[in-house]
Amino acid sequence: MSNNVKSDLLLECRGIDKNYNGPQVLSKVDFSLRRGEIHALVGENGAGKSTLIKIVTGITNRNAGTIVFDGHDVPVEHNKNASEKLGIAVIYQELSLIHGMTVAQNIFLTKEPLLPGLPFIDIKKMNAMAQEMIEKYGFDLKATDIIDKLPIAQRQTVEILKALSNKASLMIMDEPTSSLTAKESERLFKIIRMLKAEGITVVYISHRMEEVYDLSDRVTVLRDGKLVSVLEGEEITPAEIIRLMIGRELTEDESHHKMVDKRDREVVLEVKNLSAEGKLNDVSFKLHKGEVLGFGGLVGSGRTELMRAIYGIDAFDAGEIMYLGKTYSPTVEKSIASGFGFVPEERRLQGIMGGISITGNIGIANLDSISSPAGFVSRDKELERTQTAISTLNIKPANPDHLVGNLSGGNQQKVVVGKWLIRDLKLLIVDEPTVGVDIGAKEEMYQTIDRLSREGVAVMVVSSDLPELTRLSDRIIVLRKGRIIKEFTEGVVTEEEVLRAASGIVEGGAK
Amino acid sequence: MNTKSALFKEHMVELRLFGVLLGLMVVLSLISDRFLTVDNLTNVLWSVCLIGIMTTGAIYAPITGGIDLSVASMAALAGILANVFMNTLGMNWIVAILITLVIGAGIGWLNGVVTTKFLVPAFIVTMAAKTYLFGVAMLVSNGDQITIMEPAPFLQIGIGKLLGIPIPIYIMFTLVILSHILLKKTVFGRRTIAVGANEVAAKLTGVNPDRTRIIVYTISSVTATIAGIVMASLTQQAYAMNATGYELDVITAIVVGGTSLMGGSGSVVGALIGAVMVGFINNGLNLLDMPSAFHPIATGIVILVALIMNQGVSVPAVLKKWFARPGAAEAAK
Amino acid sequence: MSVSAIRRLILTGLLIAIGIALSIANPTFLKLDNLMTMLQEASLTGIVAIGFTLILITAGIDMSIGAVIAITSMICVNFISYTQLPAYIYIPIALAAGCAIGWVNGFFITHFKLPEFIVTLATRGILAGLALIIAVKDEQGFVKNVFIEDPVFLSFGETVGPVYIVTIVFILLAIATQFFMKRTRAGTNIYASGANPTAARLSGINVDRTLIGVYMFSGFCAALSSIFLAARMMTAMPEFGIGNELDVIASVVIGGTPFTGGIGDIWGTIIGTLFIALIKNGILKLGLSPYIQPIVIGGIIIVTVVADVWYKHHAEKKATQAARRKAMESKEVGA
Repeated sequence: MSNNVKSDLLLECRGIDKNYNGPQVLSKVDFSLRRGEIHALVGENGAGKSTLIKIVTGITNRNAGTIVFDGHDVPVEHNKNASEKLGIAVIYQELSLIHGMTVAQNIFLTKEPLLPGLPFIDIKKMNAMAQEMIEKYGFDLKATDIIDKLPIAQRQTVEILKALSNKASLMIMDEPTSSLTAKESERLFKIIRMLKAEGITVVYISHRMEEVYDLSDRVTVLRDGKLVSVLEGEEITPAEIIRLMIGRELTEDESHHKMVDKRDREVVLEVKNLSAEGKLNDVSFKLHKGEVLGFGGLVGSGRTELMRAIYGIDAFDAGEIMYLGKTYSPTVEKSIASGFGFVPEERRLQGIMGGISITGNIGIANLDSISSPAGFVSRDKELERTQTAISTLNIKPANPDHLVGNLSGGNQQKVVVGKWLIRDLKLLIVDEPTVGVDIGAKEEMYQTIDRLSREGVAVMVVSSDLPELTRLSDRIIVLRKGRIIKEFTEGVVTEEEVLRAASGIVEGGAK
Repeated sequence: MNTKSALFKEHMVELRLFGVLLGLMVVLSLISDRFLTVDNLTNVLWSVCLIGIMTTGAIYAPITGGIDLSVASMAALAGILANVFMNTLGMNWIVAILITLVIGAGIGWLNGVVTTKFLVPAFIVTMAAKTYLFGVAMLVSNGDQITIMEPAPFLQIGIGKLLGIPIPIYIMFTLVILSHILLKKTVFGRRTIAVGANEVAAKLTGVNPDRTRIIVYTISSVTATIAGIVMASLTQQAYAMNATGYELDVITAIVVGGTSLMGGSGSVVGALIGAVMVGFINNGLNLLDMPSAFHPIATGIVILVALIMNQGVSVPAVLKKWFARPGAAEAAK
Repeated sequence: MSVSAIRRLILTGLLIAIGIALSIANPTFLKLDNLMTMLQEASLTGIVAIGFTLILITAGIDMSIGAVIAITSMICVNFISYTQLPAYIYIPIALAAGCAIGWVNGFFITHFKLPEFIVTLATRGILAGLALIIAVKDEQGFVKNVFIEDPVFLSFGETVGPVYIVTIVFILLAIATQFFMKRTRAGTNIYASGANPTAARLSGINVDRTLIGVYMFSGFCAALSSIFLAARMMTAMPEFGIGNELDVIASVVIGGTPFTGGIGDIWGTIIGTLFIALIKNGILKLGLSPYIQPIVIGGIIIVTVVADVWYKHHAEKKATQAARRKAMESKEVGA
């Protein structure tokens, strides 16, 4: 269409600004992609990677900045369909595939080849076209396979084929290996290199430094919504990327992050050789009174699964859990009765009941203490507990009848924590305590956890936010692929060390 | 916090409904001078009784996000069974009622087990139950309209009066109070609401959603059974078709009462007002000498309107969006 | 062999077994007359079941189908009584009315985001009431029996050779629908909208319009069945079709179309329809109480759905166990 001389840049974003009615998520970010390169986009959680991708693909609109794609100016009111027409494709894990349909049907959905002059699908031709594509790339698939029966790695290749059939010139892959095995990941890397050979540009988002190191031609590092650096060729080393991502040396005021050895105290929880097929592998550790034990690792490393197994949500295959010196086989009800508290990772889906008042949300976890043996709830006791939780945690607005769904993220999280605080709490499990929480509420959450540990409550914290993990923990265990790979017990641990361990770059650390 | 205003706020929905109800009464009294007579109003209340009794138990299923469509068949079967126990098998009437209640509870329990343990949508399970219970009712009664002449104390349940007020009205108000307390003041009520509001969150805070749902469907069947016994006694008749279509009235009352079918909230008092409103609408149609066929029409329209209002969708916005859809402009030309 | 093929084999086997048992118990069962009448019954349900299969593929439900039958037959009766118009004019109008009702259902479901079953339950009430109201009445206000005399209309109840026209239409409609579902983009869009509406939207399918189309087709099928029913009875009554939903639901469900959407086809529905018709005929031929019918139909629905869910759960459990084991093994290698 355009007769311009094609520049060697496929995408050029300049000065991208974005704020979601408040905090600045991206400020003046430049991001450019060359034709046929593999470009890694890295940064800590909250650095702005997904927002940048959403802007490029038209899922959200930018507040300022220009985008030029393949010589065309991309307007601010960009949308998903338009970006697809331009040739931008996002490879989802499985979101966009239709169950019950064959590989070929999925690839050609809404653009099936028709019999000449008739409105009928030419199934033979469709299967042949799909098979041809599959063979061209040497995928381990058949055009007539039903999607449901394929493992996730192969579904991903179907997604890639779908994008190829759309003549995509840019493919964005967001953490594509998070649920793949090592072998499957290798195969994916081969495919990515093949795409590159075809002249397709691939944006690769990953926390796994060794993958980024192996694959990328160039790396863009984001931090706190700003562009930090673009690395190329020799400059790309895992250590350098991690240094740029974290971006600061240890300073004096962070010395209170120094870990405290509390392992001489009474053991509250002991986990011995816990294994669950495909999730956990021989995990053992002890948790002591008043200790804050942090769990680091990448998404999919088994942290959440471990917490769920200990709390009694999911069963495990082998191993033993000891609680206060006795063998403990957990169920949720038993855990609550024994003084556990659980703050799940996805607040909206698992934590709060949005259509119900603060009182109702807090009451439901405390029915045992606010009701009579006959099963009647005491409204007075319930209100009194709720008021206690509201004032200790500074929940705003301080109105017990306020619907939780209408609270801010930080206050919602306070409600989820608050329902456990008014109990005789011995062990608190917190999974991602501050995702979607504003800075003020974040600090309050940290203070609450500190206070609980001073009061003798044992706390387990799972967090992908490294400053948070090092700030809170007395001891840090790093998981990788369902195993404990490293334990930091004393001194000052840096975010860099945790991230290296989680990424599998441990000098002599791995067994 | 001012307790008075909190109380007012808590009962906002009910108060607003009551306002609508009063408005409806004004309209009806303007339409017909027969409306505001003691006889007519007693009649309305009486006819509301059966729906009202069913509603007190049936409301729990929508609060958990489910539905019970089997209540009408259950009620019809209950009347027939009670008659068989009393008059064919010669049991004492109290024993007969107790056995009928146990059977009703068992059927509700089964509905709950199939829905929860086999993850079958509630409306399918209860619709199938509605069908087979109707078949059993027809089979047991041989399709006849059986007249119940005795025992006298049993008949008093329906036709007896206390202080000039029919006994079924006492039964209804007792059940409304009990159900209101169960929902608002007990551990079970809290759990029911929690399961409907967010099942996963409820589970993580120690609520057993399956157990809660099974109890919910059991309660629903038990109140349907009570309604069936009252109905048999009131009409002095046991007949499989006696309550045909009542499930729609029950759903209407619940929806009009402000209970969302999506789960998580509900009001027993609201549903009672909803039942009275359904009664008034039918009464109005009668007073206007409209054929009874207008009854399901009115019910259907009221359900749709109430659902849209509960959903909080703006009708003009939806219509505007529809007319503005791509292709509408060409179609207009 | 696929699960659905095994299911069909089992069902066909059961069909034959019950057929043999019935012909031993009652020799009149195997008479051509009885078989053709049974097929006619099956076809009347089956035409509605074809539309309903599409509804279930979109993970919806249509409770109004019985009432659509009632209202369309009453529309015809009004034309017969009050106009001199020939059948080939008012029959298309009645069919269009079925589509229009489907459109209203679909509009409420998609644009107001209301639960399918409650919307169609409400329209069912409205239509059933309307059918009674527009029924032709005599001077005393009783519903009048209007006889159909138009030869075009009556020809719908005729036979070709021993086979009723309705059976032929049922088979043709089934083939056409199956072909439409599997071989056109619109059909594929229906499957996609039912299996994963989010993904369907991402792929550029207009899911709302697809759903409305399916509800219109369901209304059309019910109206078509209503015409054949009226032609067969040579009259129409406002109670026509009311309560028949359960036969339709049972036929489709036992044929292997689940409530969860995205799966199902017409072949299963044909076998399911024959199965239910055979059961009903069997109850009749064995001289059992007709009241057993609803018990059996209700029971079949529950047992089928429970068995399906149980099987699916079992299969999924096995699959995830295998996948996990595989994942673990290769992780060991990788780490």
